[in-house]
Amino acid sequence: MVDFVQTVNSPQEILSTAERLRRVFLEKDISPSTTLDVFERWAAVLERGQLDVPGLPFLRLWLRRGTLEPILQRELGPDSLTGGWRSDGQARLRAFPLGIIGHWPAGNIEIQPVLSMSCALLGGNVCLVRVPRDLRQPTWDLMQRLAEVDQAGTLSERVAMVTFDHDRGDMQEAMAKVADGAMIWGGAEAVTRVRALPFPHWTRLAVFGPRLSVAAMDTASWSDPTMRPTWCQRIARDVWQFDQQACSSPQTLFLERSTTANPAAFVADLKQAFEAESRAHPRQQIHPAQTSAVCLARASWLLQDPGQSAWFPMSPDWTILLGAGADIPKPAQNRTLTVLLVDDLMEVISRFDGTVQTLGLATSDPNRETALAEAAGRKGVDRIVKLGRMHVFTSPWDGADLIRPMVRVVRHVASQN
Amino acid sequence: MNTSAELEANIEALLALPPYQAEPKQHASAMMAVLRQELAYACEQNPRYRNYVEQWPVDYRTAQRVADLPFLPVGVFKADPPLALISPSEVKRTLTSSATTGQVPSRVVLDAGTARRMTKGVTAIIRDFIGPTRRPYLVIDVPETLAGVGPLGARGAAIQGLRSFATEIVCCLRNDSSGNPELDMDNLMKCAAKWRDTEVLVYGFTYVIWNSLVKALESKGVTLDLPKVRVLHSGGWKRLERQAVNREVFAQGVASAFGCSPDRVIDFYGMVENVGVVYPDCDHGNKHVPAFGDVVVRNPLTLDPVAPGQQGLIQVCSALPTSFPGFLLLSEDLAQVVGHDGCPCGRRGIYFRFIGRAPKAEVRGCGNLETSRERGETTHG
Repeated sequence: MVDFVQTVNSPQEILSTAERLRRVFLEKDISPSTTLDVFERWAAVLERGQLDVPGLPFLRLWLRRGTLEPILQRELGPDSLTGGWRSDGQARLRAFPLGIIGHWPAGNIEIQPVLSMSCALLGGNVCLVRVPRDLRQPTWDLMQRLAEVDQAGTLSERVAMVTFDHDRGDMQEAMAKVADGAMIWGGAEAVTRVRALPFPHWTRLAVFGPRLSVAAMDTASWSDPTMRPTWCQRIARDVWQFDQQACSSPQTLFLERSTTANPAAFVADLKQAFEAESRAHPRQQIHPAQTSAVCLARASWLLQDPGQSAWFPMSPDWTILLGAGADIPKPAQNRTLTVLLVDDLMEVISRFDGTVQTLGLATSDPNRETALAEAAGRKGVDRIVKLGRMHVFTSPWDGADLIRPMVRVVRHVASQN
Repeated sequence: MNTSAELEANIEALLALPPYQAEPKQHASAMMAVLRQELAYACEQNPRYRNYVEQWPVDYRTAQRVADLPFLPVGVFKADPPLALISPSEVKRTLTSSATTGQVPSRVVLDAGTARRMTKGVTAIIRDFIGPTRRPYLVIDVPETLAGVGPLGARGAAIQGLRSFATEIVCCLRNDSSGNPELDMDNLMKCAAKWRDTEVLVYGFTYVIWNSLVKALESKGVTLDLPKVRVLHSGGWKRLERQAVNREVFAQGVASAFGCSPDRVIDFYGMVENVGVVYPDCDHGNKHVPAFGDVVVRNPLTLDPVAPGQQGLIQVCSALPTSFPGFLLLSEDLAQVVGHDGCPCGRRGIYFRFIGRAPKAEVRGCGNLETSRERGETTHG
């Protein structure tokens, strides 16, 4: 049986895998269009399959030519699909791959090893991907489907998925030393540790570090009883995906105060939406320390101020904490949403410090929304989206291109001119 | 403000019972009655605690079982100022937990009544395991741990809790010039000679006994001739796990050091927040719940009580504190329920085995801004 995610135990295994990838890289060019053909077949087989991988619908959509072609054209230029030269005044430009791209995906997003790899493959690179232990099975399943539609090995031979314990400094170092580029994703600790590895001086790093996200609703949106249940369902969906551990997961929901509407009515609808989401997507397992964290978040909130409220079942399934204030509290994650009343959403945005990645919005006035988006952009927010779509990513990601950082754009000025 | 006389009397009534003889249903009913009273009392004393209790999914006034009452996670006692039901002027003592380096310790405040009940509770439990006789008390620690001023740490509290069994107290460690504990060999050998034919109570933290006594005696090739010792120890196994020392190895090592049988070594589980209640191992390796306490082992996924044979987070209960809301506490430790009644040792009610501290969840993911430094942990290499 082919091992689509290879367990490696020594730096030597990493080095020999890298040597194989390097040979493929030097011997075989590949155009983005060819890569897109395989991706298209891969998306189709993933459509038919019975895989239960969180984020799979997103991945299927991502791999479609219709999604990636516009991204390629925007990031690499109009002629980038064929991998040819494009003119630039007296010169011409062409994107060339960097070489071996090392990928360090986050441990909490099942599709991320494949997603990260797809970006580097589109640039014509070869990929060495460290698969976090808990993501081994979903990655294996996805790669097995790729092998099904890529029997010639057009893309498969350009990829090595490896897994080893994250504490193995020698393996991490071996991987860093062979990387011409690196795509690093994850929490503060993981990102800091990977960045500190002994990469060669030419290695280009694309770092997608830790962020948090918040949601906000203007008065009209949350106080409208006809639309409220729908908005609440959207919020619940955003909270549930990735168990609220993703950088795009809303941790706090800010509600602009209303002189007439009662936030209790909103929370009642939100509670119903959480209960429905919990029934539809019951938790299958939880780490005891996460249970403790949920219980502590509930207790700390209610003990902090007698004016604060909370709604939760006996189980750790979900928690709604209600209070007031414009600052983002420390995220509790694990389906714990803090709802804060504020006088003005602008006040909330003015306090952002660059850690906020996504602002999920529900506003009724387009002009107001534009003003909020502009303010948020200035305060470091990279994505401003409608509530319910907080996890729907595309390029730019965290304000950065996804394919462009892993290619070199070569300039050629003809000597005959 | 004084605890209501009726509540005080009901707690005292539980304390006066033989600790392990109550029929389980009677025990549950008696505990429910006192815990409801205590919750009502605590809600009167502290509006922040009342806010928590009032928003609990089950009303404690109509709850049918201890498992439905509003428990607090022990982490809330890391707050500053400590969560209390008394005014600062009524605080007689503050107990602190043994937090590892860089972590914030828990702190609980005791008034005179709670402190008195704490001593009575521990005494009742330990008496059931080692008998009522007073005897020489050898403390495997430095005398400074017992110092009487300022907050009392977990080690000091455990040492103090056994004082009522002592005819005399000797600490057999001392700080060397660098402040590190070392065995006071002369003192220890004098005591060993003097106490050879008597019952002796020994207490120390598990890792202190191992590192400062057992290994020190072993390295000198010395065995104490104290066959009648009862060695009680607590504090957990985490530090010894790194040295591959398990319960059996520990008991055998201690027995060799004292020249006693390994079954005279008793491990007990306890936490400073669970005042007055400790859980020694019985002869069958199980832990039991006294008349004035209870234990609920909860499934982490549902927080429902688990069935015998299953593991979960331990919730400890104590009827004894009235100076802080420490009646119902969800710990960060794991245990396995062995049975609901019928341990061969004869003690009634639920019996369980301690598994260990719940491991920290792997910190992962793009939504995690926390670093190990912020959590007070060491970074993996």
